[in-house]
Amino acid sequence: MSTPEINADINAGINADIDADLDAGTSDQQDGRERLVVVGNGMAATRLVEQLVANGYPGHVTVLGDEEVPAYNRILLSAVLEGTHDRDAITLRRGDWFAEHGIDLRLGSRVLAVDRDYGDVMLVDGTTIPFDRLVLATGSIPTLPPMRGLIRHDGSLHPRVHAFRSVADCEGLDEAVTARPGSRAVVVGGGLLGLQVARALSLRGLQVEVVEATEHLLSRQVDEAGAKVLRRSLTKLGTTVYTGARVTRLVDPPSGGSVTDDGPVGLQLDNGFVLETDLVVLTAGGRPSTALARGAGLEVRRGIVVDDTLTSVTDGRISAIGDCAQHGGVVHGFVAPAWEQASVLANRLCGGDVTHAGSRVVARLRATDLDVAVLGDPVGADGEVVEVSNPLAGKHSRLVVQDGRIVAASLVGDLSRVGIITQHYDHGTVLGIKEHGDLLLPDVVPTPTVLPDEAEVCACAGVTAGAIRACTSLEHVKESTRATTGCGGCANACRDLLAEKLGAPVGGTGGTRPHAAFTTA
Amino acid sequence: MKLQPGRAAGRPTLEVLPWAEFPVNEGGLCRKGWTSTGLRGSRERLTTPLVRDRETGALAAATWDEALDLVAGRIAGIQDEHGKDGVAIFGGGGLTNEKAYQLGKFARVALGTSQIDYNGRWCMSSAASAGTRTFGVDRGLPFPLADVEQADLVLLVGSNMAETMPPAARHLDRCRDNGGKVVVIDPRVTSTAERADVVVQPVPGTDLVLALGLLHLVIAGGHVDTEYVESRTHGFQAVADSVAAWWPERVERVTGVSADELRALADLVVSTRRVMILTARGAEQHATGSDTVLAWLDLALALGLPGRPFAGYGCLTGQGNGQGGREHGQKNDQLPGYRMLVDPAAREHVAGVWGVDPDSLPGPGRSAYELLDALGTDAGPKALLVFGSNIVVSSPNATHVEDRLNSLDLLVVCDIVMSETAAMADVVLPVTQWAEETGTMTNLEGRVILRRQAVAPPRGVHSDLDVISGLAERLKAPITFSTDPEEVFEELGRASAGGKADYAGISYERIDAEQGVFWPCPSPAHPGTPRMFTERFAHPDGRARMHVVEHRGTAEPVDAEYPLHLTTGRILAQYQSGAQTRRITDLPDDGAFLEMHPVLAARLGIADGDPVTVSTRRGRLQAPARVVPTIRHDTVFAPFHWLGVNRLTNDALDPASRMPEFKVCAAAVEAQA
Repeated sequence: MSTPEINADINAGINADIDADLDAGTSDQQDGRERLVVVGNGMAATRLVEQLVANGYPGHVTVLGDEEVPAYNRILLSAVLEGTHDRDAITLRRGDWFAEHGIDLRLGSRVLAVDRDYGDVMLVDGTTIPFDRLVLATGSIPTLPPMRGLIRHDGSLHPRVHAFRSVADCEGLDEAVTARPGSRAVVVGGGLLGLQVARALSLRGLQVEVVEATEHLLSRQVDEAGAKVLRRSLTKLGTTVYTGARVTRLVDPPSGGSVTDDGPVGLQLDNGFVLETDLVVLTAGGRPSTALARGAGLEVRRGIVVDDTLTSVTDGRISAIGDCAQHGGVVHGFVAPAWEQASVLANRLCGGDVTHAGSRVVARLRATDLDVAVLGDPVGADGEVVEVSNPLAGKHSRLVVQDGRIVAASLVGDLSRVGIITQHYDHGTVLGIKEHGDLLLPDVVPTPTVLPDEAEVCACAGVTAGAIRACTSLEHVKESTRATTGCGGCANACRDLLAEKLGAPVGGTGGTRPHAAFTTA
Repeated sequence: MKLQPGRAAGRPTLEVLPWAEFPVNEGGLCRKGWTSTGLRGSRERLTTPLVRDRETGALAAATWDEALDLVAGRIAGIQDEHGKDGVAIFGGGGLTNEKAYQLGKFARVALGTSQIDYNGRWCMSSAASAGTRTFGVDRGLPFPLADVEQADLVLLVGSNMAETMPPAARHLDRCRDNGGKVVVIDPRVTSTAERADVVVQPVPGTDLVLALGLLHLVIAGGHVDTEYVESRTHGFQAVADSVAAWWPERVERVTGVSADELRALADLVVSTRRVMILTARGAEQHATGSDTVLAWLDLALALGLPGRPFAGYGCLTGQGNGQGGREHGQKNDQLPGYRMLVDPAAREHVAGVWGVDPDSLPGPGRSAYELLDALGTDAGPKALLVFGSNIVVSSPNATHVEDRLNSLDLLVVCDIVMSETAAMADVVLPVTQWAEETGTMTNLEGRVILRRQAVAPPRGVHSDLDVISGLAERLKAPITFSTDPEEVFEELGRASAGGKADYAGISYERIDAEQGVFWPCPSPAHPGTPRMFTERFAHPDGRARMHVVEHRGTAEPVDAEYPLHLTTGRILAQYQSGAQTRRITDLPDDGAFLEMHPVLAARLGIADGDPVTVSTRRGRLQAPARVVPTIRHDTVFAPFHWLGVNRLTNDALDPASRMPEFKVCAAAVEAQA
């Protein structure tokens, strides 16, 4: 265990000066350890560092996080907004954990540039940090719709408008909601995040409307029929949905007055409609944060292009993982692939030779009363489609099947089989020809039948229904067969058998009662 | 239960009677109990020592002196050639406390070998390891079993109590009668699950993640017992941060338990005060078994349960003397009283009681499976003495273990019948069974109970204590080994004095008078300890430790070649390796079977009763299919009471407890042509 360094203290912030860093750099070079710099302190970076610690990475690690707060679980921000999760319950790793493992964590440290010639990164305060290996885990940044009046002269968002990416965004929105109970909100973006935020706000008592630019909700994940079911469910829950509509500008509220910092605002859609609201939340997707990589001359398409070793195709010293990386032509926006990449990279940095072959993605909507699971790409995947749809009951399930394997799925409104379907998807299980369809239908409930005489009623003593029927009373059963004297579980069954014979209920308590099984698979 | 001698057809018989006043089972017995005298006078009983003829390979009768002289002579020769560790001992969790104690002492003093372990390693060792690390002591249940009846919520994690200990299931029914709820977590809807309020069926090997997911929701919802955590535990914050990564949908992907089910379960857990979490082999017999128990312990501590009346955590120990068997020194690293063999103070104390030099005691040896794996190898033991265990049926990767046994220079087995392991032995020694000897056992509650001899053993049958004493004498041990159980128990009490499992204040007289005495009981005036942890835990500072655990997954994940999870367990009519129960005619013995879901059966073209072949990377087994809707689609189950099932199981070990991964491996199933 090493002494906590001053920069690892989360309260200390960025107070390291250049000389101290140069000294640190020199001493590191002297001890010959590899210097690894991680840009980013989000979920991918945290997992990488955890895995480096677990694998005993011998080098010196510096983590640069631009947010001031310790690493947290970003995907639970909507749960914090809704109030189901304590703010503190989403913290992943605190400063003392980094200090304990000798990792130099610098919070509130925004990186200005990567200099590949010098082999260092420069922070906005002018500090430079040399690296032998660099990992970019810079994540993504929210896409702001092209909308007039959104950005003010000082570059900040209009005070009625909120992004929803960071814990600071979440806290800002939470404050606004708390300050105006029962107010109105428009969520711009009908993707997974948009629906989560919409539900959270709705449960906080706001009147919520959702505006989605494409023709249906979750257009990247579910087909039109599924989206219709979802829309219907949202409407039932009191949320209005506008699809095929773009927001174009912030305008004066239709009810009168003009746009102010704390009054209501109007939101004009491209179909001419104006929504009046107290809050606007932008959740219309994000784009990989690649400015640093571009500035450094690394190959960037949508994301930073990496190979199967998660290394930049331009520079073997630099890797990228998570939302900012593009592997095999794909940029993910999900945690599971980011963590798989982090594990692979940690293995390689520790001398291993694992490679990344891409990820299977299971996306779950985390929104109270809305049940959606998306496995792979059910809209784009090739294969036979097995579908069960009941819009009246608010259910639409779709499996895409290739050679007996489920290669993609979307489940809307009915997640009773999500557990086993996900297992089959993840393991590539080859199923029987009826099985896919059966998975989407409820179990047939068997009707109770009369127990045959040879059926065993009491397992403890090995007594059959016939032997019980031959008795005249519960006492007789005990004495002659020993049934009910072991675990006592057959007491009710014995009573029923006697009652069936005697035509009257037999007294007493105990024994088996019907149970509620959650799981059927 | 009680025994009553009687007569039938002119011959003396022994009858089993319920003992309604005994609080653990209130006289409730299953058919294994009713029929437990079935081997009395049976032709299956061994009644003379048997020695294998080197020429013909056949076992032939010998006198006790001939057999013991032979064994002692061979041991001496092997130890001369290969050193003290050339001879090993394998004990059992069914042995009385007195036998377990004498066996450990025999290994370390008479044989001077470090190579001793026992089958309890394969029973509750993961819970023992986790309990020791968390609480500072391992006692299966830190409260009487009947406390279950007063709980608001009982979570059974991987326990099929209604089949494995049927009378105990009465307490579950009473709990429900009192308004409590019972939750069963098991990949199968067992007969225990049938009498529960809620059944959760996770993928085998994912109970750890389920616990992390519950803890995540407990913390998220602000339901942590903060005062308890601050005053009675260490390490909460690191655990809390680590489970921030286990949100319900991620848990769902790993466990197959939907996020909504998890939330409903968490709501149930936080809505009641007296929550009791009980783990058993289903959660523990994994290469991640001890971490799994640690995770459930973290949950229990975060909720402030251990030490709270009618709440807490417990392990449902399986074997007859599963608790006592692990306390008195037949474990590879322990001395009596749960003392550690590497602790100089412990060595000095115990050596003082034994009257030997502390430095003469060997250090820790190999754990059970590692010991068997080393048999007959260059560095491993060349001789093995087995007491109370049927290794070739009960070991994981059993074909390999059979090979190891075959490579020994000497295999000696003490048993009451010709078990599969005895049948491989060079020397078989016939020993007494329970009704024919006196001794104590410590039940799953830590209650020390006494079983008095009811009948004389068959002629030619001696106690294990006689075997130990006879061999020690022939090996010229520096001390003598008593054959009187009460005398041994008194010595055990002195050896355990001051240890964690302290028996110093317990006597046969007290056990009789008090329906058993709960350890620790350091002095005759001490009342014993039915309920532990009410004020403090057994770590020096009195606080429990919470542990960050990671999900590593099963040692052998399913793949295209072996796409199914195979899990194993017990059925009501048979017990463990079946050496006794398979020989009792009143108990049905239909052989092994393979349980599978109708959906899987349809996929494979299998009907109920069809012969099927189940194979793993280690072996194949043919058995009839039993098609039931109560098991997961992706999992098959086989009971392990018959030779062959454990040829399939995985010998991957838990790094802390050295528990093999009995409860899950990757398997393929096909219909037999």
